[in-house]
Amino acid sequence: MESITTTFSRSEVRRVGNRFAPALIEALETLTRLAAFTLITLGTAWTRFGQNSRVIRPRIVDEIHRSGVRLLPIVGFLGAALGVVFVGQTIALMQQVGASGFTGTLIVTVFIRELAPLTAGLVVLARVGTATVIELGTARALGEVEALEALGIDPIHYLVLPRVVGFTISVICLTVYLMLLTLGCGYLFAFARGLKATPGEFFGEVAGALSWLDFPLLAMKTGGFGAIIGLVICYHGLARSLTLEEVGQATTRTVAQCVVACLLLDAVFILLYLIA
Amino acid sequence: MSDIPSIEMQDVRVVHSRNPGVTLIDEVGWVVRPGEFWVVAGLQGSGKSVLLETAAGLTPQGGGSVRIFGEEVQGGQRDPEEVSEVRRRLGLVFDGNGRLFPSLNVFENIALPWCYHRNASLADAAEALGPLLEYLHLDRLLDQRPGRLGRAWARRVALGRALATGPELLLLDNPLSGLDMAHVRWWRTFLSDASRGHAALGGRPLTLVAASEELRPLLVAGRQFALAHGGRWRLLGSTEDVLSAREDDGVRELLGDND
Repeated sequence: MESITTTFSRSEVRRVGNRFAPALIEALETLTRLAAFTLITLGTAWTRFGQNSRVIRPRIVDEIHRSGVRLLPIVGFLGAALGVVFVGQTIALMQQVGASGFTGTLIVTVFIRELAPLTAGLVVLARVGTATVIELGTARALGEVEALEALGIDPIHYLVLPRVVGFTISVICLTVYLMLLTLGCGYLFAFARGLKATPGEFFGEVAGALSWLDFPLLAMKTGGFGAIIGLVICYHGLARSLTLEEVGQATTRTVAQCVVACLLLDAVFILLYLIA
Repeated sequence: MSDIPSIEMQDVRVVHSRNPGVTLIDEVGWVVRPGEFWVVAGLQGSGKSVLLETAAGLTPQGGGSVRIFGEEVQGGQRDPEEVSEVRRRLGLVFDGNGRLFPSLNVFENIALPWCYHRNASLADAAEALGPLLEYLHLDRLLDQRPGRLGRAWARRVALGRALATGPELLLLDNPLSGLDMAHVRWWRTFLSDASRGHAALGGRPLTLVAASEELRPLLVAGRQFALAHGGRWRLLGSTEDVLSAREDDGVRELLGDND
C-alpha cells in the first residue's frame, strides 16, 4: 500500500513538474530579458539624456498627449463613477454605523493609496498600451526598426525612451486627476444625500489622514506603474523579431504581464507602508 | 578621395536575419572602393537584400568579417555612438515601399535623420533639404502620409530619407523593380548624377551599390558587377565581362536571355 502511494506521488509530482517546469523556465527567461531590456533603457537614458532634444522632446510631449491628455474624459468618467460608488457610499455607511471619524482614513487607505494608482495605470494600459504594442510589433515585423538603425538612430532612444517617460508622467498626472475628481464627486453625492460636513471639513479630514510619507511613496508608485507599463509594452513590441501573426499574441502577453508586474509593485509598496 | 574601402567583406557567410542557421550566400569576398558603382544581381530569394543589410551592419554575418569604412560594426562590445557615426556615412534604400515610417508624413520621414543627427528643428530641415526635395520632385507630396503613396513615390521618399544626411555610400535594394518607364528613366538619371556628383546630392560622387533581380536595366549605368546565384558569390567584372559571360546559366537568367 505504501509502495503504491509512493509511486503515485512520484508520478504525480513528475506530471505536475513536466507541466509547470517549462512555464516556470519561460517566465524566468522573460524576466531576465525584461531586466536586461530595462537596464539597456536606463543606460540609454543616462548616457543620452538631453541629446537630440529637438527630436526626442516633441516625441515625449506627443506621448503625454496620447497617453495622458486624451484619456482625461474616460478617467473623468471613472472618477465620477468611483466617487459615487465608493466615496459616496463609504461616507453614508460610516455615518450609519457611527464611525464618521474613520471616513478619511478609509478613503486614504483604500482609494488614494491603492485604487487610484491602479485604476489610472490600468486605463493607460488598456487604452494606449495595447495599441502601442501593436504599433511597435508591426513596425518591428515590417522592418521599420531596422530602417531606423540604418539611419544611425538608436531605436531605444527614439522609440522606447519617449514612451516610458510619457507613460510615467501620464500615470502620475492621471492618478492625481482621478483622485481629485473622485473625492469631489463623492462629496457632492454624499452632500446630496444629506451629509452635513462642508467641503473644507471633508477634504480636511481626508488630508488629515494622509501622512508626509504618502506623497513620495505615491509619486514613486504611480511613476513605477507608468514606467513598468511602458517598459513591458516596448519590450514585447521591440525586443524580438515578430511576424505579423505574432503581434496579437504579444499584445495579450503584454497585458497579462503588465497587470502582474503592477500588482507585484503594489505589494512591495504595501510592505513599505507596513514597515513605515 | 580616401583609400579606405567603403565596404570590405572577407569570407563572409550571409545568413538569414530571422534564422541564422540558414546560409544564403557563402564565402563572400568583396571590396567596394570609394566612387565605384556596383550592381549585385541575383534572383528572388538569392540573398541580395540580406547581403546589403549585412554590408550595412544591420544583419550579423554567420562568419567572416565585414568592415564599413574600415570599421567593424558587428560583434564585440561596439560603442553605439561609433556605430551610429559609421551608419550616418551610408544610406540604405530598402526594397518595396522603402520601409517608411507610417506615423510621419513625407517631409518628416525625409527630415528625421537630418534633424536627429543635427539636433535641429523641422523648420531648419525645410531650408537645408529644399534643393534635395526639389531634385526628387517631392515638393507636392510633403504633407502626404506614406500609406497614400504609390510604390514608385514611396521608394523615392525612401531615397530622400537615405540621402538626407549626405552619405558617402548608397545601398539600393531593387531600385528599379515594379516601376513604370517614366520612373525608371528618372532613376537612371539619378544613378548617373549620383555616380558623377550633383549639386543637389552634395556635389561629390557617391559610392553606389544596387541590388537587382535583372541585369539588363543596370547594364549601362553599373560599372562593376557581382552575382549571387545558388548560394554562391561571384565577381563578374565590368559590363563587357558580363556580356561575354552570357553563356553562363546564372548570367543568362539575369539578363533575361532564356526567353
